[in-house]
Amino acid sequence: MEEDKISLRHYFSSFGTAVKNGNIFTRLSLIIMGLGHWANGQIVKGCIVTAVEAIFIWVISLIGGTYWPKLNTLGTVQREEKFDPLTMTKTVNHFDNSLLILLFSIVGIVIAFFFAIYYIYNIKQIYEVQKRKEAGLHVNTFKEDCREMINGKFFITLLGLPTIGVILVNVIPIVFMTCIGFTNYDMDHQPPTYLFTWVGLRNFKTLFTSSVSDSFGYVFIRILIWTLIWAIVATFTTFFGGIFLAKFINDKRTKLPAMWRTFFVITIAIPQFVTLLLVGKMFGNNGIVNGICSQIGLTGFLQDIGLVSKGLGYIPFLSKPGWAHVMIILINIWVGVPFQMLSATGLLMNIPTDQLEAAKIDGASERQIFWKITMPYIMFVMGPSLVTSIIANINNFNVIYLLTTDFTTTNMKFANSHGKEVDLLITWLFNLTNNYSNFKMASVIGIITFVICVALTLLSFSKFVQGDREEEFQ
Amino acid sequence: MKKKIVSLLLAASMVATLGACGSSKSTDSSSKADTSASADSTASAEDPVQTLIKNTSGTVKLTLWVSETDAYQKVMKEIVDNFKNEYKDVDFDITIGSESEANTKDDLLKDVESGADVFAFADDQINELVKAGALQEVSQTYTYDPKEVDTDASINSATVDGKLYAYPMTASNGYFLYYDKSVIPDEDAGSLDKILADCDKAGKTFGMELSNAWYLYSFFKGAGLEATLNDDGKTTDCNWNSKDNDPTGAQVADAITTAAKDKAFKNLGNDDQMSAIKDGKMAACVNGTWSSGTISEAWGKNLGAAKLPTFTCNGKQVQMGSFSGFKHIGVNAYSKQPGWSMLLAEYITNAENQSKIYEATGEGPANKADLEKASSPALDALNAQAEFANPQRVGANFWTPGNSLGQSLAEGKYSDAQKLLDDAVKGITAEVK
Amino acid sequence: MTNTKNISDNPIVIKAPVSKRIVRPILRHVWLAFLSFIWLLPIIWLFVTSLSGYSGINTSHFFPETWSLANYKKLLFQPDTVANFPAWFKNSMIIGIFTCLISSIFVMMTAYAFSCMRFRGRKQLMSFSITLGMFPGVLSMIAIYFVMKMIGLTNSIVGLIIIYSAGSGLGFLILKGFFDTISGSLRESAKLDGASELTIFTKIVIPLSKPMIVYTVINAFLTPWMDFVMAQLMIRSKDPRNWTVAMGLYNLVQKTLVGKYFSVFCAGGVMVAIPISILFVIMQKFYVEGITAGGVKG
Repeated sequence: MEEDKISLRHYFSSFGTAVKNGNIFTRLSLIIMGLGHWANGQIVKGCIVTAVEAIFIWVISLIGGTYWPKLNTLGTVQREEKFDPLTMTKTVNHFDNSLLILLFSIVGIVIAFFFAIYYIYNIKQIYEVQKRKEAGLHVNTFKEDCREMINGKFFITLLGLPTIGVILVNVIPIVFMTCIGFTNYDMDHQPPTYLFTWVGLRNFKTLFTSSVSDSFGYVFIRILIWTLIWAIVATFTTFFGGIFLAKFINDKRTKLPAMWRTFFVITIAIPQFVTLLLVGKMFGNNGIVNGICSQIGLTGFLQDIGLVSKGLGYIPFLSKPGWAHVMIILINIWVGVPFQMLSATGLLMNIPTDQLEAAKIDGASERQIFWKITMPYIMFVMGPSLVTSIIANINNFNVIYLLTTDFTTTNMKFANSHGKEVDLLITWLFNLTNNYSNFKMASVIGIITFVICVALTLLSFSKFVQGDREEEFQ
Repeated sequence: MKKKIVSLLLAASMVATLGACGSSKSTDSSSKADTSASADSTASAEDPVQTLIKNTSGTVKLTLWVSETDAYQKVMKEIVDNFKNEYKDVDFDITIGSESEANTKDDLLKDVESGADVFAFADDQINELVKAGALQEVSQTYTYDPKEVDTDASINSATVDGKLYAYPMTASNGYFLYYDKSVIPDEDAGSLDKILADCDKAGKTFGMELSNAWYLYSFFKGAGLEATLNDDGKTTDCNWNSKDNDPTGAQVADAITTAAKDKAFKNLGNDDQMSAIKDGKMAACVNGTWSSGTISEAWGKNLGAAKLPTFTCNGKQVQMGSFSGFKHIGVNAYSKQPGWSMLLAEYITNAENQSKIYEATGEGPANKADLEKASSPALDALNAQAEFANPQRVGANFWTPGNSLGQSLAEGKYSDAQKLLDDAVKGITAEVK
Repeated sequence: MTNTKNISDNPIVIKAPVSKRIVRPILRHVWLAFLSFIWLLPIIWLFVTSLSGYSGINTSHFFPETWSLANYKKLLFQPDTVANFPAWFKNSMIIGIFTCLISSIFVMMTAYAFSCMRFRGRKQLMSFSITLGMFPGVLSMIAIYFVMKMIGLTNSIVGLIIIYSAGSGLGFLILKGFFDTISGSLRESAKLDGASELTIFTKIVIPLSKPMIVYTVINAFLTPWMDFVMAQLMIRSKDPRNWTVAMGLYNLVQKTLVGKYFSVFCAGGVMVAIPISILFVIMQKFYVEGITAGGVKG
């Protein structure tokens, strides 16, 4: 943290130095960004930089002029239409669309932010070049600059496009949806017809007090706990299941490994939602499995030992809490293990052979080799992805949504907040937005989920994320 | 050179605006003329359409969303072709999309501006569509007046706050009883007890999706308990937990649980019911016209349809109520062609085309005259149920708590019916936030 | 298989009594057969239902009562107002191929930058990317829709390709972990020979990582075949010709259609498996190459 502060201070102070010590052209570059490059003989680069600046000014004048002034109210003019029955035409006033105001303002702010970073970088760069020139050193030609982009600064080339993509479909939507949590965007305030506006922290208060319905907080806590349990259990079961299966199939003593592998891989080839819907139907209250269970007397047996209530004529595989929780995890193993097996197979085939040889010469047993060499290697490569898997599972929509379509809760507290015991936060959110247009509460739940995810990750996985062990295997 | 172009453009736009002003003024005056000379009413009704045709230049692009079933798509294509012939002078480009009426609201509200100009939807969505400002009010009609020719119930279901917002198309989206005549004799179909007894005897089942508040409503409604929309258009008024009514809410709940505990009674969703009927396991079910194809395929000549039966509550026989269901055609408030959209909506729902739709799909028309002519086991059953049916007017919070109540009652795993009902009613009547 | 052969070539097996040597392998294969059976059961059910003579829903029998190829005929040669499989397949194929290309390249690029290069702010950027990935995707869907609308790409295949591949840069962790294990001295020596980072990236690191890249490619290719939620939101057209396979198939099991199209839906599921299986077969080859590469590396 302290380091960050220092580097941040350095970041701005070096900018200050550049402006203070720069010559007239460097300073003028504050206005026309390419000027310094031109002065130093970098004509093409100067043109590109100036063009970027021109585009930025054009874009920002469009967005800033129209949307930024309305950002504080999110619009004031509500849509009004007047239908003229005689000409059968409609006149609509010049109305504000809160959603677009918010979205475009955010887009503008994001663009301005990145431009500012580039702006500072540009001045510093010009100052560097100026110093080189003053010292009589070689100044890079445009060609050399380009070559640098595939060499020392290759990371800029590599990360450029992916970053733009991430900004487009991740950063902007996230900022936008976070802002929604502080507005009253719900069923009564749906743009474009109606306006929504800022309400401060009211929605957060609503979540923890009882004004939505007295069960919102109750349901939130329970769904959150199940989401976390689900994410952890689902991740680890499929992770280890996949590794053991891969190990088992790749073992020398297993005949026809390619055939066995194909059997499992086939399940990936069929779209998840197709198989999930089918498996859901198989385990339905009236499905095949229940038919077989009642024929062989399993249903009766379970009723006798009290696992299934007598009132039900079926095993509620996917329709009662408890049963459904376990089944969902089991079905998820079915869905997820082949994937993990695939990646683990790729890894097992690439374990550095020298280490294995050395271990064998030392007389290590097969089991020892597996736990001392293979597993640490797999954990090293896959460990960080466990973090992403857990988060992917927190947001695992398909499995839960498709398997619990027939689940009806009997707990009124859940029902009154439109939740189910088997809902993840994400499916609950989806239900709230899709069926009740309740974007503000969905956003609040999303923000809190996000904060919890981040906190948990930082606590338990900081090692992986920081990449402390990066050099270990090299 | 440049200056010349600019000035030309300016002049052109000025002419255009002037022209626009002029034309609106002229129609104004003509309307005054019409009202003063109201003798020829048909002429005045024709006028706006003629004006619209005159003012239309270029291709009129319209999108129409109707049910995805083959029958609907075919008949709509025919109707749209006829519509184009009706207005030969105009160049139309009408796209017919497949969209289940049940999903229209969800799909449309994601982005109203990119939705269809004209769309079919189930009447239960009308409140939320109006509230989101997605529906254009039917403030004026040109070729026929729905209020005159369609049944009162259908007009009622298309009306919010006294304003008509849609054109009724079909009136058979409610539910009723299907039964297999080889198992349940006609005279037994009027009583739930007898139906269940007959099913038990034959080793068959009776299907009704209790865990869906839409069906559950029938029991409470039958017993005289209400679930209706409040004046605010958002919240639901519900007295299912009433202790004063005769029978009380708790007695109705007990009656439902008693029925559901019968071995033949299966609380199953649509898919499972169809599957069970196909296997010959199910001999009766509460379902709607959308299932008639599958059911008649399975039962053939033995297909029977009737109004919902009576059920035993507190020792008395009580007739089950129901939600009536309609399909309406709505015009998108954001349509770029409001005039043509309205005309198309009118055209689709006029008497002639309603009967065409009925012939193609078997769904009962909303038009009074057509409805009298139409006859099929399913429609007759719906007709018989009509006097016990109410349009669906409930708020958004009715559904999830209602579904849960149904599930609890079907399982019968509750200790205190009154408390269960109190909890459910609390959720149903909660404020929408 | 060279590696695993070496691992298991150990004295314990050789010394084991005969009974163990015979019983154990049998048990091993019985266990595998049992697992395969469980994993394949739903797939078999899907397959036999797709061959059912009855087109409606039937969830209580395993094997159909009558057999027929009618569902496949209907699916492939008789497109109607709700099912236009050839068009869906074409759309999904286009989306799949481009998404697969773009996102595999993005993942490789970010993984290389984070694993093999050192620059200021690298760790912060990595942490930031991981944090971004934690935001519930379903929630931001509606915002993504309006971002796409802003650049005029809703209702189009291009828009879907962008949505599926643009964020893929965040999924670099596994591949980065793998790149980390590639010996750094290999890169250093290449650099001394005058190779640029681009050359090292394309000529050394990528060839060495084939098995993991295969995994990345497969994952990227699968996304558009599986997703129906985002596709339903993005593709506003109600003309089946503009849908993707996932959207179209999901639509077939809605209330009004399931009674007529359930077996067709199953047939569709089987048909989708074909291109993906072909992809697997092609990719198997690279797995083998990956092994030899691993040998060189060690």
